Amino acid sequence: MLRVTDLTKTFGGLKALGGVSLHIPEKRVLGLLGMNGSGKTTLLNCINGLYEPSSGDIQLQGTSLLGLPTHKIAARGVGRTFQVPKLFPRMTLLENLAAPFTTGDASDAEVYERSAEWLNRVELYRLRHNYAEELSGGQQKLVELARMMVAQPKLVLLDEPFAGVNPSLALLIIRLIEAMPERDGCSVLLVSHDLTSVYQLSHNIVVLHEGRVLAEGGAAEIRSNPDVIEAYLGA
Amino acid sequence: MASSLGGVAAPAEGRSGDARVGRIRISLWIVVALGVVLPLLAAPALTENLSFSFYLMLWIILCTSFNLVAGFTGYMPFGYVAFYGVGAYATGVLHKTYGLPMPGALVCAALAGAAVSLLLAPTLRLKGVYFGIVSLALAVIFRLVVSMLPEDITGGSMGLILARANDPQTTYYVTVAVLAACLAAAGWLAFSRTGVALRAVRDDADAAAIVGIDVTRTRLKAWVLAATFPAVVGGLEAWYTNAIDPEASFNILVTAKVIVYSMAGGLGTLLGPVLGAGALYGIDHLIWQKFPVLNLMFLGIIIMVMILVFPRGLVGSFAQRFPLLRRYIP
Repeated sequence: MLRVTDLTKTFGGLKALGGVSLHIPEKRVLGLLGMNGSGKTTLLNCINGLYEPSSGDIQLQGTSLLGLPTHKIAARGVGRTFQVPKLFPRMTLLENLAAPFTTGDASDAEVYERSAEWLNRVELYRLRHNYAEELSGGQQKLVELARMMVAQPKLVLLDEPFAGVNPSLALLIIRLIEAMPERDGCSVLLVSHDLTSVYQLSHNIVVLHEGRVLAEGGAAEIRSNPDVIEAYLGA
Repeated sequence: MASSLGGVAAPAEGRSGDARVGRIRISLWIVVALGVVLPLLAAPALTENLSFSFYLMLWIILCTSFNLVAGFTGYMPFGYVAFYGVGAYATGVLHKTYGLPMPGALVCAALAGAAVSLLLAPTLRLKGVYFGIVSLALAVIFRLVVSMLPEDITGGSMGLILARANDPQTTYYVTVAVLAACLAAAGWLAFSRTGVALRAVRDDADAAAIVGIDVTRTRLKAWVLAATFPAVVGGLEAWYTNAIDPEASFNILVTAKVIVYSMAGGLGTLLGPVLGAGALYGIDHLIWQKFPVLNLMFLGIIIMVMILVFPRGLVGSFAQRFPLLRRYIP
């Protein structure tokens, strides 16, 4: 599905990514761990075209994404959420979810049906006529997730989906992510500091440290990796 | 109830109710548009003094088209008058110097406005106040360039007199048609998916790109449409007054009034700029009649009070006060 090969990204003299390689197979969840400043969000920004990588390659289903603008990468099926939700604040929830359909040929009825379906799944259908700016931070996370999923992406990039979310909403988000590979048919790149959730949801985990891959493996391997313990988990 | 998409479908009553809301909103806009256009169409039969109605139409067109770029995409072009001036000069020069009939000159004015908007399209990369200042500077440059063109073409700093074009009745009816076209175009844009894309870009351009919207192309659509109508308005005024000159055609006060009228009504809604233009131009006209010396001072005070009392404009403040009704406001 997604293959990142020897990716580097520098900002002036700062090397944010120093040759990162990773692979996410179809319908799999890859957890991405790392300290603040380890390059996790930079990697996501490179994948969906917000940043232009300095070198390396990013391939989605065998086709390079390099040089494509963000909207074309989205059209190829890459969805994204942000640590601080980036909604359209002065638009209603229904309009927020209709935004991915402004290009394409889905009928109005289909757009409504899919938007309503996802607002139901995130339990916010009753607020569909509210402006996004009127929602709490946790609710905004859910709407952003729904807006991404309504477009039926092949790959989703989730940046700290549990940050600032109360436990009941976090549980709902966990259920939604759990369903993504099988029910929704997409692969997931999950960035989070919530280790328990990452261990629970991920088929495989990559740990970044200072822009490089420090370790890769299953939850048990990562938990017991001495380099990870020293650099990230603490003694 | 499971939907055909394998998810959780919307309750049927919610679906039909939401469809009804959309229909009501479109119907309300049609009623508003007809409520504006039809009385103005009938005005020549009721009065010989068409000047007030004519300029009211010009301001409604200017504010409505300005809203397409400022209200729907979040750009604030302080040099908006440039399109108006280019349209006035395209019409005047083509009619007087090259003998083109007025309707043909107006079509060319529209094309000139669109062409200038494409020429200035690279400035859309700028954001916020930087865009505003650059557009203002460009308007000044346009005025200077027009002033310095050969006098036998543009009339230089003295401008042109279009005495042969004098036909206020025809000008008036053409203006009614342009007004109807402008309101229809704005409605089409607002209720179409392009309208959703425009407002998404206005709220967060990065997020819009993330969901697949071509931000540059979307902005450009609104920009070109928003430039075409003021260019026609410039041509219409040249036709109506039979005179153009650089100072009047590129007068920054035109932009200032468009901004104030639109904001007073409420940017970002279709109704706001129409209401703002109608209310403030009406007040402006009344004050000017009663206090010809102090009219600008009184107008300034009224605008300040309006902004303080209705910070989101008349329509925006109404929507804030009555949130349940806002979904019906076009």
